[in-house]
Amino acid sequence: MSGIENSLLVVVVDTNPIWWGQSRDEEQIKLTLTRCLDSVMVFANSHLMMNHSNKLAVIASHTNKSYFLYPQKEHSKAVSTAEDDSQIRQVDGKYELFAQVDEEIKSEVKNLILGGLEGELHADSLLAGSLAMSLCYIHRIEKEHRSIGSSLSSRIMVIKGSEDNPAQYMNFMNTVFTAQKQNVVIDACILDNDSGLLQQACDITGGVYLKIPQLHALLLYLIWVFLPEPSMRHKLTLPPKAQVDYRAACFCHRNLIDIGYVCSVCLSIFCSFSPICSTCQTTFRFLGPPKGSKKKSKKSSN
Amino acid sequence: MSRSSEDVLLIVGAVRHKKVDGTLYMMRERLAWMQSNKNNFSVSHRYCDIKCQKISPDSKEKVQLQLVMHDGSAKTFQFNNTTGRPAQQHDRDSVKEVLQQLLPKSHQKISGELEEKNRLLKDDPELFQLYKDLVVSQVITAEEFWASKGKKSTNCAKNDKQPIGVSAAFLADIKPQTDGCNGIKYNLTADIIESIFRTYPIVKMKHAEHVPHEMSESSFWTQFFQSHYFHRDRTNMSNKDVFSDCAKKDEEEMKVERAKPMGDLSIDLVQIKDFSLGEGYGLVNEDQKGSSNHTHLTMIRRFNNHSTMVLKACEANKRAATVTTDSVPTSNISTHPGRNRVMNEMGQSSHLEPQTKKQKIQNKLGFEDLDNTESQESVNLKLSKLERYLHGPTPLMATRYNTSEDVLTATQNVSSEVSEWNLDLSQVLGSSVAVGVLGELSPGGSLMQGTSEQQLQQMVSQHLQEEMKQLYNALLELLRHFWNCFPTSSKFLEEKVMRMKSALERFQMVKLLAFKERLQQYHYAINLTGHMDEMLSAAYSKFDNWQIKKLSKKS
Repeated sequence: MSGIENSLLVVVVDTNPIWWGQSRDEEQIKLTLTRCLDSVMVFANSHLMMNHSNKLAVIASHTNKSYFLYPQKEHSKAVSTAEDDSQIRQVDGKYELFAQVDEEIKSEVKNLILGGLEGELHADSLLAGSLAMSLCYIHRIEKEHRSIGSSLSSRIMVIKGSEDNPAQYMNFMNTVFTAQKQNVVIDACILDNDSGLLQQACDITGGVYLKIPQLHALLLYLIWVFLPEPSMRHKLTLPPKAQVDYRAACFCHRNLIDIGYVCSVCLSIFCSFSPICSTCQTTFRFLGPPKGSKKKSKKSSN
Repeated sequence: MSRSSEDVLLIVGAVRHKKVDGTLYMMRERLAWMQSNKNNFSVSHRYCDIKCQKISPDSKEKVQLQLVMHDGSAKTFQFNNTTGRPAQQHDRDSVKEVLQQLLPKSHQKISGELEEKNRLLKDDPELFQLYKDLVVSQVITAEEFWASKGKKSTNCAKNDKQPIGVSAAFLADIKPQTDGCNGIKYNLTADIIESIFRTYPIVKMKHAEHVPHEMSESSFWTQFFQSHYFHRDRTNMSNKDVFSDCAKKDEEEMKVERAKPMGDLSIDLVQIKDFSLGEGYGLVNEDQKGSSNHTHLTMIRRFNNHSTMVLKACEANKRAATVTTDSVPTSNISTHPGRNRVMNEMGQSSHLEPQTKKQKIQNKLGFEDLDNTESQESVNLKLSKLERYLHGPTPLMATRYNTSEDVLTATQNVSSEVSEWNLDLSQVLGSSVAVGVLGELSPGGSLMQGTSEQQLQQMVSQHLQEEMKQLYNALLELLRHFWNCFPTSSKFLEEKVMRMKSALERFQMVKLLAFKERLQQYHYAINLTGHMDEMLSAAYSKFDNWQIKKLSKKS
């Protein structure tokens, strides 16, 4: 296998039921969760088809947990494989791996959606957790590969509709920096509102961030933009990278600011000057600029 | 008699110039001659204009001094002291000596400055271009140009020549040549003489005493090399010799050196014996080997003395340098960093000895890095509202408000949809939709904006880019001069502002407009000179405001 690099693709799909349920009410968006998952399956199969040693994992980022759709855990797999495989082969003549991937994703989604509706539901998804989970999985697979002496390039592909959760910020950024350190590229395909966090993540790790205009053509965007390996993307004419907004939000009003005041003790950011830092209670003795040049000269002479 | 405010170094009366009696003045910067009954200098020359001086030979009747200028002309002064010929000669010699000192100085200064400027222009092609743009095209004068650059250049030129050390073998390096008939020729260069003077100040003294009056330069050095002082192992002493007393002085100095306390207390030089340790495997009686030959001893002493002198010469250099640069009384310490300091202080005050000895031993025994470093007490940071740090840079947006009803219906929708889900992967993407999206993603499509656009860099030709860079350089230099004048605190600055304003206008007329006209031939869509125009208009408006203010103040 020298020359061709094996590639591991981890797809993180946002399965937040609240967003998917809402978006179906709106008329102009014709994409449903199942159609989205269909597209993801075709995309995943395409990835596997590119090279027979390519690896795949699909993780659902749900409202309160992250869930592996593919591959399944070893023990549950062992029970079902023998019968299922023979069945599938009889049904139609398609490649067993594809059939297995499709079936597993479908059954796991059903498990997740139909069985897992307990507890409080949030309008946002647990994206940071899913990313961390993918990084762990990537790490494990890479370790296995290293032990048998073959190399593996890994990337994470996020398909997301729901909104960012500011409370996940620290965890999210930590996973992004980990990904950067592990040479894992994060791509993002955004279905609804722009995500500032994912924009930064893609920019930091060198991935593609794309907010798609036509939802029902999701598959084409996936195949056109996200299927090529990051190593060969520079040879293609892909949508240009957008300017990423790295502005910080002030601690007082959560406004994004270009220029602000930073406490020299605790590094809190404020949009307006206050003599006492509200985070660490440091008092600033701030000497205003001298009004006249006469005063200035007096001061300097003293 | 009018006296100029300049430093007058020397005044010599009774000097004839063109057969008229007068007085010769030697100032710091120039030389001047005044007719005896007049009030102004009829002859005045800056030293840098003088190429060289010539004096009349002793055999001639008149005692004269001739100055040859750079432009080829010459001025002759006759020294006409009434008291007699020796006095005349003395006058002439004093003038000659002052000139000798001053001429090389002024020459060095002038050529040094020119060379420095020349070097700057050569080294920095951008500066050279700027010079061409601004000075050659007479936008500003050369002095103004260098006045702004001068600070930089003098900064680097300030640290003067590094003094060259004295080679220990400088005497051995003078390779005498035999001339074939029982004589030896020494070739002395200025460097070697300098080294000899620096190591043996006594020789310098002798040189100063004897050379101009009693013997010639070459005969002095012949004597030096013939003297027993140079050939120290010779024992015959004759009182005739110029250098006879030098030897005695040297002996005294050696004694002083020996009496000085040793630098390092942990080393006892007296205990060191002059034999190799392992020879004879300890069976040979070691004391036998101590050298008893008297001539050898003097030889070794001579060598040691020579080394001491060389080292001293080097040290004197260093000290002079530190004193002149820092003028700190502790210059000794600054030349010997760290531990050596202890040793140095010791030389000056011997009563500190036990203490310094102790410290020295301590230094050898203990290592600073192994010491326990005390942990510093720190102030704890008391933070309130920690969650502020954990929030992302997301502005508080009005999130879509979800009632519990909404949530319920949404989840029900999804679950019903999933339960009815059947895989139909061949129908995921319609062909018409796919074609539409393909258009979006192809070059020129709505998602591809900015990729196919030509870069400005590729549009504008290399040549024009170069030219524009030069224009920017020149303009920015002018503007820097302009803005430097504010606030206009002095008359000079005010004048400069006016000059710079006109220079800017000239630049706009001559250079910028021409460039614009040429740009028009290329039909660029972008205004390449817009920024320069803005900068110029900003400067003009500042100037106008300043002028209005100034006028209103006056009225």
